[in-house]
Amino acid sequence: MSRRLRLLLVVPVVLAGLVALAVLPGGERHEFEVAKEFELEPLVELPSLGPVDLSINKAVVYLWITTGLLTVLALAVSRSLRLAPGRFQALVEMLYELARDGIVGGVMKSGRATWFPYIGSVFFFVLVSNLVGLLPLPFGEHWQPSYYAATANLYVTLTLALFTFVLTHYAGLRKNGLRYFVNWAPAAAPPVLKQLIWVIHLVSELFRLVSLSVRLFANMLAGHAILAVFFAMALIFQNYLAALVLQGASVLIYLFEIFVAFIQAFIFAILSAVYIGGALDQEH
Amino acid sequence: MDAEAAKLLGAGIAMGVGALGPGLGLGLMIGKAFEGIARQPEMANDIRTNMFIGIGVTEAVALYAFVVALILIFVA
Repeated sequence: MSRRLRLLLVVPVVLAGLVALAVLPGGERHEFEVAKEFELEPLVELPSLGPVDLSINKAVVYLWITTGLLTVLALAVSRSLRLAPGRFQALVEMLYELARDGIVGGVMKSGRATWFPYIGSVFFFVLVSNLVGLLPLPFGEHWQPSYYAATANLYVTLTLALFTFVLTHYAGLRKNGLRYFVNWAPAAAPPVLKQLIWVIHLVSELFRLVSLSVRLFANMLAGHAILAVFFAMALIFQNYLAALVLQGASVLIYLFEIFVAFIQAFIFAILSAVYIGGALDQEH
Repeated sequence: MDAEAAKLLGAGIAMGVGALGPGLGLGLMIGKAFEGIARQPEMANDIRTNMFIGIGVTEAVALYAFVVALILIFVA
């Protein structure tokens, strides 16, 4: 059979298949609300301790998974270090070097050895948490598989941002003493302007807390929401052709989300390093 | 127009217009960074690091719009 003849046969078959997919009646109509995926229903009800609700929900489980995975991986890699690294050790070494030389070494002038453990931990924690969030795990409603990331929760990211916020001022106060607060405004400015600049600086310090936490939260939430919408659209259109196209598109978005997970961990760590470095080496 | 429709419209407009500025800004900044890397490839690492810091700061503006849109839909 010549190539041309084969093509003549294959094209109509594929076209007929697509048309058949398009006209085939879809399954039952399912109700699907994207916002529901991000609600935190307690999976295991526990008694509350005063105002603190101790119930275990999705975010708690994802935090446990992240912590456990990170601990096990770190121990496994550090126990079996080899001079000629295998694939996995090479990957971890690359990320470690990125955190040490790229993030801490790149933006901090002093106190690198002191602050690398914190910034490295934040980098790896956010990275693993973001990546775990891309695995479908059975912690949805009625233990159905669902997507969630601990970092797609404002409470988690706000806690991480508070760590950086508190440590920034701790670092600045420990190194510069009470001069730290005086140095917020440039010494050369005239008196009234100086106070105004000081207040503006105070506001910007507080807004760092908002931007640091909301950036990570909104990025992960938006990524998961887009994925959920693409999965849900197949149910809404009730059409196999639409489902095929949308699932294909959702794979591309999924790949992009892996990139975003990495970039967001990098940005969170590098901004933490910038803030702490700025508090250590103040401009006068 | 009832309140529900106004909320949804407002959320859409907030996100759409709010993404416009940061989109332009990110494009300009990343373009300039690549120009810099093309001119001075030996500075690539420094430029890239600073570019990511800039991306983080610029992107925050779009994310404020995103949060406003979410608040309009789910809270307001």
